[in-house]
Amino acid sequence: MDRTLEYQVNLDVFQGPLDLLLFLIRKKKIDIHDIPIATITREYLAYLDKKDRINLEREAEFLLVAALLIYIKSQMLLPRERPLEEEQDPRQILVDRLLEYQKIQAACAILRQKEADELPKWKRDAPPPHFMSEEMELTEVSLFNLAEAFFLLMKKKEKKDIQIIRGKEYSIEKKMNEIIKFLKENHFLDFTEYFESQSTIAEALVSFFCLLELIKARIVYAVQETLFQSIKVWLRKESLK
Amino acid sequence: MSIQLNDIIESLLFVSVEPLSAEKVKNVLTEYPEDEIEKALEQILEKYAANPGGFQIIRTGGGYLFSTKPEHDPWIRRLLRVNRKNKLSPAALETLSTIAYHQPITLAEICAFRGVDATHSLKTLLQKKLVKIVGRKKSPGKPLIYRTSERFLTYFGLDSLKDLPSEEEISKLLEEETDED
Repeated sequence: MDRTLEYQVNLDVFQGPLDLLLFLIRKKKIDIHDIPIATITREYLAYLDKKDRINLEREAEFLLVAALLIYIKSQMLLPRERPLEEEQDPRQILVDRLLEYQKIQAACAILRQKEADELPKWKRDAPPPHFMSEEMELTEVSLFNLAEAFFLLMKKKEKKDIQIIRGKEYSIEKKMNEIIKFLKENHFLDFTEYFESQSTIAEALVSFFCLLELIKARIVYAVQETLFQSIKVWLRKESLK
Repeated sequence: MSIQLNDIIESLLFVSVEPLSAEKVKNVLTEYPEDEIEKALEQILEKYAANPGGFQIIRTGGGYLFSTKPEHDPWIRRLLRVNRKNKLSPAALETLSTIAYHQPITLAEICAFRGVDATHSLKTLLQKKLVKIVGRKKSPGKPLIYRTSERFLTYFGLDSLKDLPSEEEISKLLEEETDED
């Protein structure tokens, strides 16, 4: 009885079917090279029965391994004219996978220790110290993120059906200076807000080009606090001079 | 007093965000002979090895970097307002070491090794810039190929990929585990 209880307790630590299998093997103190398929399959099914809630994706993976076990079993049971050579042993696939998996797990343990050693050695790659709250994780956004946000905004603008006929010229240079001035005064620029405030598509387009140009020239950079949040544009500190 | 080569190299180290290799120093300081640069670098390393101060020079990612000393971690966290340690999740670490040992590798191959879907953890690793996309495999579907990044080395304090835990280290660990059972 105790054992089933333990299984339940340990459920959360399993990453996948291989994990579970390894666990079962260890539990039974079985040599990995000599997997008694029937025992493990039985335990496996017992484990599945015990679960009252099912994570479909995970269970499907478990079933895959269970199926593999049964397949191996069936191969072992088939009568053969000649005994199988060692490398033809159907259990070999599983053994190889498990050994590889075990190796990765061991490497993980070593790397985890190295991570713990390295984390308290602070280096100069600290994120920009702009009054960040602790949960914030800034990711520098790619050109695609920027473009996507831009086109979304432009679509919104189109829908509003603005009818402005005056022809005004926007110069990239002027606009760039405008953006830099804005950044110096306001510290940062909210991508969405900024483009919402542009009066025409032409102006917005010019601003967008300016922004791209500024990013390319490494005068500003665009960051996103978390996925799906608005993109913020900051002035690079070194460009302030 | 004239400008000392040692001091120049120290200043280069000071501003370096990425590991500064001897090669890089030589490329920058073309006016100095290479053996002098190497000697100076050694002197600096010695000096800091004996330095009881607030930071040290570490060898990582094929070069050198200034870093703080681990014992000062609590106060740095307070200053930077970082409360929790940003450790990798078990799934991400597993995916990362799979990539490290089998690179170059595609997502499908990672999943096959791990026996579970790795899409999400791969995304995390890309965001943390610990892995990078290096191209596409010339096979059906042209899947993306991944490798560990330079940042990966610094993150784990490895000098190069050769420093990854070796077969011997791994089998030693596995034996220890079996002994404990």
